[in-house]
Formats: sequence, structure tokens, C-alpha cells
Amino acid sequence: MGPYCLYYRDTVQSEKPTGAKRVEGNASGEHRKPQLKPLLVESFARMDPRRLKSNPVMFIVELSFIVVAVMAIDPGLIPVVSSPSQQPFYAYVAIIVLLTVWFSTISDSIAEAQIKATADSLKQIEHEVKARKVGADRKVTMVSSKSLRKGDTVLIQKGDYIPIDCVVMEGVAMVDESLLTGESAPVKKAPTDVLIGGSVLVSDSLVAKISADPGDTFLSKLISMVESTKRPKTPNETSISTLLIGFTAIFTIIIISILWLSVSLSLGVDLSVLMALYVCLLPTTIGALLPAIGISGIRRMSADKIIAKSGKAIETAGDTDVVLLDKTGTITFGSRIATNFIPLGKHTQKELGEASFLSSWYDDTPEGRSIIDLAYRDGYIPSVFCSIDRASAVEFSAVTRVSSVKLENPALFLLPKGGGRKSQRMTRMRKKVQQDIPIQDMNITKGAPDAIAQSAREVPAGFDEKVSMISSMGETAMAVAAGGEIIGLIRLKDQLKPGIKEKIDSVKAMGITPIMITGDQPLTAKSIASEVDIDEFVSKAKPETKIEVVKREQSNGRIVAMVGDGTNDAPALAAADAGLAMGSGTIAAKEAANMVDLESDPSKIIRVIILGKQLLMTRGAVTTFSISNDIAKYFAIVPVMFAALPVLGRINVLGLPPETTVLAALVFNAIIIPALIPLATRGVKLKPQNAMAIFMRNMLTYGVGGIILPFIGIELIGRIIMAL
Amino acid sequence: MSALLYIPFLALIFAIVIASAWLLSRYLFDVYTGKKGRLDKLFDPIDNFIYRIINADPLRQMSGWDYFFSVLVFSAFSAALCFAILLFQGYLPLNPQHFTGLSWSLALNTAISFVTNTNLQHYAGETTLSYLSQAAAIQFLQFSSAAIGLCVAVAVFRGFSGKFKGIGNFYYDYVRTITRVMLPIAAIAAIVLVAAGLPQTFSGYITANTIGGGSQTIAIGPIASLVSIMQLGTNGGGYFGANSASPFQNPSPFTNWFEVYLMVLFVTAMPFLFGRMAQNSREGHMLLIAMYAIYAINMAVAFYNVMQFGPGMEASIGAFSSTFWTVTSTSTMTGSLNASLASFNPLVILAALMGMFVQAAPGGIGVGIVYMLMYAILAVFIVGLMAGRTPEYLGAKILPSDIKRAVIVFVSHPIIILIPLAIAFSTGAAGAIGSGSIPNGFTRVLYEFTSAAANNGSDFLGTAANTAFFNISTGVVMLLGRFIAMAIMLIIAESMLKRPRAAEIGMRTDSLLFAGILVVSIMILVVLAFLPFMVLGPILSLLQGYGAI
Amino acid sequence: MKTMELVKTPLLLAIVSMLICGIAYPIAIALIAGGAFPFQANGEQITINGTVVGSHLMAQSFNSSVFFHPEPANFSASGVDPTITLAYAESQIPAVSNATGLSSSLLVGIVNNQSRYTMFFFGTKYVNVVNLNLYLINNYPAIYSKFTGHSA
Repeated sequence: MGPYCLYYRDTVQSEKPTGAKRVEGNASGEHRKPQLKPLLVESFARMDPRRLKSNPVMFIVELSFIVVAVMAIDPGLIPVVSSPSQQPFYAYVAIIVLLTVWFSTISDSIAEAQIKATADSLKQIEHEVKARKVGADRKVTMVSSKSLRKGDTVLIQKGDYIPIDCVVMEGVAMVDESLLTGESAPVKKAPTDVLIGGSVLVSDSLVAKISADPGDTFLSKLISMVESTKRPKTPNETSISTLLIGFTAIFTIIIISILWLSVSLSLGVDLSVLMALYVCLLPTTIGALLPAIGISGIRRMSADKIIAKSGKAIETAGDTDVVLLDKTGTITFGSRIATNFIPLGKHTQKELGEASFLSSWYDDTPEGRSIIDLAYRDGYIPSVFCSIDRASAVEFSAVTRVSSVKLENPALFLLPKGGGRKSQRMTRMRKKVQQDIPIQDMNITKGAPDAIAQSAREVPAGFDEKVSMISSMGETAMAVAAGGEIIGLIRLKDQLKPGIKEKIDSVKAMGITPIMITGDQPLTAKSIASEVDIDEFVSKAKPETKIEVVKREQSNGRIVAMVGDGTNDAPALAAADAGLAMGSGTIAAKEAANMVDLESDPSKIIRVIILGKQLLMTRGAVTTFSISNDIAKYFAIVPVMFAALPVLGRINVLGLPPETTVLAALVFNAIIIPALIPLATRGVKLKPQNAMAIFMRNMLTYGVGGIILPFIGIELIGRIIMAL
Repeated sequence: MSALLYIPFLALIFAIVIASAWLLSRYLFDVYTGKKGRLDKLFDPIDNFIYRIINADPLRQMSGWDYFFSVLVFSAFSAALCFAILLFQGYLPLNPQHFTGLSWSLALNTAISFVTNTNLQHYAGETTLSYLSQAAAIQFLQFSSAAIGLCVAVAVFRGFSGKFKGIGNFYYDYVRTITRVMLPIAAIAAIVLVAAGLPQTFSGYITANTIGGGSQTIAIGPIASLVSIMQLGTNGGGYFGANSASPFQNPSPFTNWFEVYLMVLFVTAMPFLFGRMAQNSREGHMLLIAMYAIYAINMAVAFYNVMQFGPGMEASIGAFSSTFWTVTSTSTMTGSLNASLASFNPLVILAALMGMFVQAAPGGIGVGIVYMLMYAILAVFIVGLMAGRTPEYLGAKILPSDIKRAVIVFVSHPIIILIPLAIAFSTGAAGAIGSGSIPNGFTRVLYEFTSAAANNGSDFLGTAANTAFFNISTGVVMLLGRFIAMAIMLIIAESMLKRPRAAEIGMRTDSLLFAGILVVSIMILVVLAFLPFMVLGPILSLLQGYGAI
Repeated sequence: MKTMELVKTPLLLAIVSMLICGIAYPIAIALIAGGAFPFQANGEQITINGTVVGSHLMAQSFNSSVFFHPEPANFSASGVDPTITLAYAESQIPAVSNATGLSSSLLVGIVNNQSRYTMFFFGTKYVNVVNLNLYLINNYPAIYSKFTGHSA
């Protein structure tokens, strides 16, 4: 390790908060097992017919239970279609039908308990801390963050947690938002910037004005949305419910007709058997699990720290045809990395490397740091470094597109004002550099090649060729000039985020078109896009480009998903069908989007799409399974239900006696509900494949399987019942 | 030995059917998209003349409700005209046999039966109806109800395809259907039928002094013109009580198979037309394959037991053609018969019932494919979710409102069959006509209401059902069976008209896999809705060893 | 105007449709048929000596045992099926042979000659009884003249 390793390490590491301590919550919520007792209580409470009414299928099952229970208590109350000798059988039927209802309410209760646990874990992000409240007399008092109200002023010092959402009024400081965003680099905050409760101040101090009451912050509002039990149904949930009502209507008519005909034609149908057939035919499986599937979809999102403002948002994400991906931040890291120095004319690598080092010293951008890293790695440490703090720097501006540094002969040696970390580091480094080298006045400029070329005295041979060669490879060239003479180019390369290519591949495998949006030149954009297999990209993007692309794709009937964080993304986020805002983004963006990622990882949009698809598939799979099951139940019960027609025994494929068949079908119908609770809450497994392949697999499993399985299941259960 | 010849024979027949249906669909496409052609010189003046008389603006786009309302009011007036003619035929001309008017309930039932394209006949035409009734009431409604079927289907196609400005104008569609499609084709078919032996005259019945020295009255009349439209328009209501078993409706093997050809011609052309209008011919092909697959399943059920020639069949037609015709006429909602239903073994009856439960294999003229689209919506939705996307049909997302409407159409069918069925048995109305027991009486009454609900008209009770109960109950069932589906499918179509269309990346509906899923879904839905009743009827007969019902 | 569109237009259309489809069309077909195919259009009547004795397509009862007989009226669906299966025709040959003195082998030949396939060129065979008897009447007038009220 060389002499600058200390400096290097310090700039990357942030200091741990020293102020208020907090209890770390279990952030995932996945490992929290809902407690059994409240679960049971809740599941029984949900069997109250008044509460069950919201689920018409299960409500009717409960009514059927009442009918059979009456028969079990006194068959004489319902004459003609019952017989006193069958009383024990009626009791069995009644119990199994009631169990069916209970299995349904327990699945709801489990799903609700799981989402409650997840919401609780999210709430850990915002927690009670001590805060320094600034009074009207500028006096500071320590109060609990819970007592703070909108409009209060607080002082936040280095190491403090931000007590609650607030807006900076005075001061500039670095804030670590990693708890919320997962991004380890601290963010600079200046007046009017927004601070999010739960993040940590890592330098300096700030005065801020509280922007929300406790419990009313943006985050807590989002979290309470997760917990809310009054969720409007998504379009597909509504469709499925309608379908279920349709099936319920058909089966109701069938049962009434059979009963009516049986009485008119003396077919000897027992009402309890008819009720059993009714309960078996009703789409109880999907009826019982439909609410749980929806709740679990939202929970799976929340467990990934994504808050969906509605179930519809998740569904829409599953329907995505086009996903807009920002190049910077999603596909590549926010910064480019210097990869090598290309000297021009008579200049050497060392000369260029040292000049680049100096020119980048005041450049705090990641690019600037990477140039210093590269120079350091190659050993190009300028001897004039000792006078660096005497240099005057001109920051990069969008107008000139250059930055420069001017070094003067150090007559005086002054430390920067204040005792900040940076000046201490400089002192340490300076001590390690020889101080007796004469220093000449020197003006070093670096920036966009064309801008540097304009101001340079002359453009060296091969300059344009080298520049276009670099950009054709998807990289960026930066020119360096010393004393008005171009001495070479720095080559900067975009760095792909790890795993992004695989994610994009999986998106494409599902038939979704990714479109890359970048402000880069077309050549550079094309190169990056091809590196990650993206066919469509928009280069030279301006802030309004996103909404243009969203509108354009939507006018072609495509469902568009996108990610955004800035205020200027808000219109596009609002227009997009599935908009994911970054938790670290502006309030405007978060309000416009229909989903917010608390971890602020833009590539999570792909995760959202997969979760959306999973949700839709799970609904479809359980619906298909439920309906397919009816075939077997029908073929089991119908041949044995007409006591006056023993000849129908010839089509009794299961070969079980009548009562056993009815009980076995009922038991199968009931236990399939708890058996599928894990599927409902976990979701159907999804391998990123094209829709047809996914469809085929599910069709075989849940469609064909749904037809065959109950034949086997009812037969087995029947054998077991007979053995007992 | 000759059994193996049936397959190449049928292959030839259906090759001809499919080829001519494909050509017909091209012509229909031009007719309904208003494409200019050579025939305009002939037809445009006629059409414009009719538009002027009836004071209609054929270019006004109608909403789904407008379209349906026009169909409904037009049907009501048509039925009223027919009702009046039947009621007062005794005072009207063209009545050489001096038949008196029908009873009000029979006239009402008949008017409803023909205006709904059902053609359930609780009368025997040759002993009940005057020539005027056979022509101006019966043939008129056979044309108009078939044309309405085509119009509604085309309006629905326009909405589903999303490629049109609106779902169209009923008067434009109807007038063009009559002048450019139904009349010319029916006329050609009628001439062919006359050449093949069907009578067509307005002179009175023939009185013959038979060779054996007796006297014979031979019923005759405008038969060929009626038979051609009754088969083409999947109407099925015959000139004679014996329908196409009568030698004057079906004198030879040629007429038999020519009439089969007429029954399946339009219903086969419709999926092709759908594909053309959706600008994706494969979409149409898949629906056609699904329709024919179910049609083939029905055939397989019917032919599961070897057919024997027996009482109730015509010798010139034979067992094979009788069975094939029965399944075809019930699968296409024609309902005409060339043998007595009582001559068949229970599996043939089961196959016939299945055709009428499904209503879309291939189904009635125009309405068959409309039902198929209803099934497509349900099937696409139920299984399509498993592709991980909100299901789409022709690129349009299936919305909750579509499901609600499709479910109403689907649920209405078993309701309007089962409720009157239960009433018929509990009130003794079935027993009163000797059909009060299982399985045979039950089968006949189930068949009656199924036929009425499906607007098929295949008739198991015949003149025995000429009671106030059956005349009125089947009348109500026929109306509901016809107009609920039409209204709702038109509204679905209108709602899909402007819906954004996505590139299909979910489950592809133009794939063979989808055709397969459609077939399985339809069979499952039908079994779920009707299994216990099939068991109490034909299946029980079969188990009890009845050769025939 | 609105009422016009809603009520008067459909009513007028119903009347126009009835006139075109229910009156003009069947009459036009009758005129064309009567001109082009008068025999078929009028029911394929059989005329013997100017008297209509029936139709080729309608069964009629033949009282005498010299004739072949159709199935009883209640056997076929129409009740007037002029055709019988070849097997049924053949089963009647001994009786006809007995009554007429025509040899069985001759009758077998005639019956087979008159028979047709149900499926054009395969399937079961059937015979039109009316045509079969007419054939016998025309070819064996000596035997049949006394059994027909209209013979020459």
C-alpha cells in the first residue's frame, strides 16, 4: 500500500453514527412466524356469517352447513328428502362442510397476519429517537422525535439520526441514506433538500424544518397502505369473482333443479348428498384462497421493500410490454471509471497521468476520483502535489464543459480553514512528498474533447481519430490540456452493474422489450445497449424524453413500466402504467408513481414485473385447478346420488359405496384448501421464459393435474374412510 | 367392407364445404366492408331503393344498444306480421286447402319460433298451414332471422377486431345480407333442389287415383324455396311435419348431402370471415378448428354404437346418413330431421343434446361463432392468467365487464333450460303429454327445452307439444335464448371497439394449443352445467338397455 | 325523427322483407322451376292415360299381392316413404312370383336393377317401390292390366 491508501479509504468509508442508538428491527419480516393463538381466534371470528358475506362462495357453503346441520339435529324437520337412519352421516357431512369454511377463514387470517408482520418490520425504519428541538429563542432542547410536529425546527448534528421527514434550512452536510436506499455513498444535502426520517447525518450539522407529523410521514403513509384491509379489488380479482358468482349461479340452479325433479319424479335424492355435491361443485378452492393470494402478492412486494400503492399496480406490472431503463444508475453505475491515459504528441503517459491527477484533485465526482485512482495505481504522483492546496480550481460547468486547476508557486503555506477531515488528510500526505521541488505556474484544464480543442492553441495530430475511436467503443474520452496545450486523453468507461445483463435477459425471455434511456451520444449508447443485449435505446435524452417515450409506446397499445426519482420524472411516472419511484427520490416522484422502492434500487423494476406475473399466474392456476377439480367430483357423486336408480352404479368409476364417495369428495374438497395455502401465499414459481412456455407448464400442472388429482385423491380418501 | 369408404366420402364432402365456405367468406367480407365490386351496378340501386322506402340512413354508426334495439324491434314487427298471417290464414288468399287459422298460442309459438331462428314446430305444416303462411310467414322469417344472425355476427366481429370505426349499421348490414347474400344463394340452391326433385308450385294439393284403385292426396306447394333457406339459414323448420324425412323435402342421396352441405356452408364461412375482419386469418382458423373438433366429438359419441337401419328411418337415406344428419342439424342449430328421433339409440340423442348445449360447434348461422367468441373470452380468461399476464383476446385486455357479460350469456343457457324443465315435471305438464317419466319422457322434455333455448328447433315432442304450457314456455325460452346473447355480445363488441390493442405476447390465441384449450374448456363447461341431466336422460336409457328412446 | 328511426323504419323493413322474401322469392322460384323443371316442380306426378295416379316420390298402397309393397305407414318417419331396403324388396319376391307367375330369378334381376345405393356408390341399397311396380306394369301389361284401374 502506498502513501495515499489512507486518503482513499477515508473517502469511501462513512463514519458510524455516534448519536442516538436504536434497536435494529428484523427488516425482512419473512422469519416472523405469526402467532398461533390470535390466528385461531381471528379465523373463528371470520366465520361469522356477517363477515363472511364479502366472500359469496364461502357464505353459501356456510348456508349449506346450516341446512345439513338441521338435518343432523332432527331429520324430521326436513322430510321427504332425508331419512332418520342417516343422522350420523348428516353429522359427518355437516362437520366437513364447516371445516371447509374454517379452512378458508384460516387462509385469510394467515395472509393477514403475514402482511401485518411485514408492515411491522417496515415500521422499524422509522423509530423513536432523541431530537434537538430549536425553540423560538434558538435554545436547543432534547425531545423525543414522537413529540415533534410539522413546522418545528430541529438541529441535527454529525452522527444524529434524522428524527422525521424534514427540509434543510441552513447548512450543508453529508447524509447516509443507506438504510433507506441501500446506497452506501453519503449524499450531500443543502438548504431546501429533503431529509428522510431514519437516515443518518455523517458530517457537519444542519438546521431543518419538520415537514410531517409523526405517523403522517410519507413512509408511514405508505406502510399503512400495506396493512390496510380495505383494498379495492384489482381488475382481475373482480373478473375472477364475477366468474365465481357465475359458476355459483349455475350450480345453484342445477341443485335446485335436481331437488325439484327428484321430488317430482321420486328419484330418491337425499338433501344432504345434494348439499355435499353443491359444496363440492362450488369453486371453494379459489373462493377460499382468492383473498389470500392478493394479500400475499402485496406482502411479497413489501418483503422486498417495495410498497405498492394498490394491488392493481402489481397486476399492471405483470402485464408490462415495455420497460424503460435509465442507463445511468440502472444498467451502469452512476459514474464512469477512468481506464487509461492516452498521451498525444510528444507527451508521455507520466506527464499526462500527473496532470490528470492534479486536474482531478478538486473534482469530487466519482469520475474525478477514478482518475486519481488510476493515476495513483500507475504511479503518476506529481511532485508538485505539495502545493495543491494553494491551487485555485474552476468547477465543471455545463456551459464550458471543462474544469481547470491553476497552480502557483507556493510562497506561503496555509492550511485550509477549519479542522475538517480533508485538511488533516492533506497534511498527512504533504508530509510524505518532497517539498524542495520548484514549482512553476501551471494551468491544467480537462473536459469534453471538443470544448478543450476550442480553447487549445493547437489540436495535435490524431486527436479527432482517437476521440471518435473511444466513443465508438461506447466509452467516453476526456481531453487534458496543460498551459493551453493538449497533452492527451483520459479514457472513461461505463461500468455495468453486476447481474444486470442476466436481469435484462430474463425480461427479454418473458417477451418484454427493454428500452434504454441515456443522455449519451448515440454511439456510446449503442455500445452499452449491445453489451447488455438491449435492442432499443434512446440517446441524447432530455428530461422530457421519458414521458415522450411512455406516451409513444402507450399509443401503440403497450403497457409501459419505468423507474424515476427526480421531480422531472414525475409526469412520466404518472403516465406510465407501472411507475416505480425510488425511496430516495423527491416527494413529487413518489406521489406520481404507483410503487415506491424503499431501497432505491432501480433495477428492482424487473423484480416488480416478475412479482406481478407471479400474482396473476397464481390466481389463474388456482382458478383453473378449482374448476378442473369439479369434473372428478361430479363423476364421483352423480352416479351415487339417485337412490332410486341403482343402475347408475354401472358408471360409478370410483367404485366406492355412496356414503363413502360423498364423504371422500367432501374431505378432498376441504383439505385441498389448506394444502394450497402455501402455494397461495408463496405464489406459483416463475422461471423467466416466454409466456407460451410458462403457460404450457402451468396448464399441465394445474389444468391437467386438476382434472386427474381429485380422482386419485377421492379414491384414496374413500379407501381410508372404508378402512376406518 | 364399405365402412372404410365413409371416411374418404366425408373428406370429399368437407373439402368441398371448406373450399366453398372460404370463397363465400371472401364475398361476405366485400359485402360487409362495402368494398366496391362489379355486382354493385346490379345491387346498389335495389339497396338504395329499400333504404329510401324504409327511411334509413345506412351510413350512421350504431351503438351496441342501437343495433340490438333495431334487431329487436324489427324482429317484433316481423313476428307480429307472421302471427297475424297464421291467425287469419283462413281469410287470406293462397289457401287452396282452406285451412283455418291457428290457435293463438300455437300461432304465437310459431311466430316466436321462426323469428328466433328456432323453428320448433308444434304443428304439421302440410295439414295446418296455407301456402301464404308457408311462404309469407315461414319463409320470410327464415330469411330475416338468418340474416339477423349474420348481421349481429358481423357487428360483433367489427367490435372484436378493433379494426373498424364502429360496429356498423343494422339496416345497411341487413339489406345487403338479404339482397346480396341470402336471396341469390337461396335462389340458386332452390333451383338445384327443384332439379333434384323437390316440388315448387302454388297449385293445390294433388288428388291421385292410385294404381291400387284408392285415392291419395299429395301435399305439395312452394317446397324447394323453403327447404333451401331453411337449411342455408340453419332454420330447420320444414314444410312437412316429417321435415326432411319427407320424400318431397329430401328425395334422394343427392338432396340429402346437398342439404347437409347447405347446413354447414355459412357456419363454416363465418370463422373465415372473422379471421379476415380481424386481419389475422389464423384467429379464424383456430375457431373453425375448435368448432369442428367439438362437432367431431359429437359425431364420435353418436357413432359409438353401430347404427342399425330400423323403424323411423327412410330407406333411401339409411342409418349412416340419418345419424350424420341428426348430429349436423343439432350441432348447427338447424334442427331439421331426416329420420325420427325415436329411431336412434340414446347416444345419438346425447350427441344431439351436446350440440345444443354447446351452441357453437359450429352453431347457428352467425350466432354460433358469436357463442364461440363468448367461450373464447371465458377460456382465455380462465387459463390465460396462467401465462402471467392479464389475458388478451385479439390484443384487447379482458376486462371485468367482459367477464360479467360473458358469464351472463353462459349462465343464461342452463337457467332457461333447467327452470322450465323442473316446472314441466312438477306441474304435471310433461305427464299430460305422456312424457312424465324417466328416462324417455325426461329426455324428450329436456330435448324440447334445450332445442328451444339453443334456438335449434330439432323437435322430439312434435305436435304433442301443442299445449298451452309448452307453446308459451318454449316461446319464452326461445326469446330469451335468442336475444339475451345477442344484446350482450353486441355490447361486449362495442366495448372492445376502441380498446387499446397490444402486441400479443401472452397466450397466443392464434395457436393450435388455444384451439385445443377452447375445446377442452367448452366440454368441461358443458359437462359441469348439464351432466346430471344427461345422466337422467339418455345415459340412463343407455344403461337400462334401451335400443332407442 | 327519433321515433321514425326506432319504430317506423323497422316496421317498414319488416313489410318490405316479407314482400321480397316471403312473396316475390317463392313465386319467382316457382316460375323458374315451372319453366325449367315442370316435372319435378309439380311433384313428379305419374300419369297413366291422363289420370294422375300418384307421385314417384310418394308411397301408395298397392292392395294386390302382385305388387311389391312399401313399409306400413308407421314404419318410416314420413309415413310416405316410397323406398324400401333391397333386403325387404327381395323378401317380397316369392310372394310376387307366386301371384304373377314371374320367375324369382327374373324378379331378382328386376329388383336389383331398380335398386340404388344410399351413399351414391356404396352403403346399403334401396328400391323405390312405386317405380318398381310401374316397371312391372309397363313391362308385363298382360299380368298387371287387370290390377290397375287405369291400364291401357
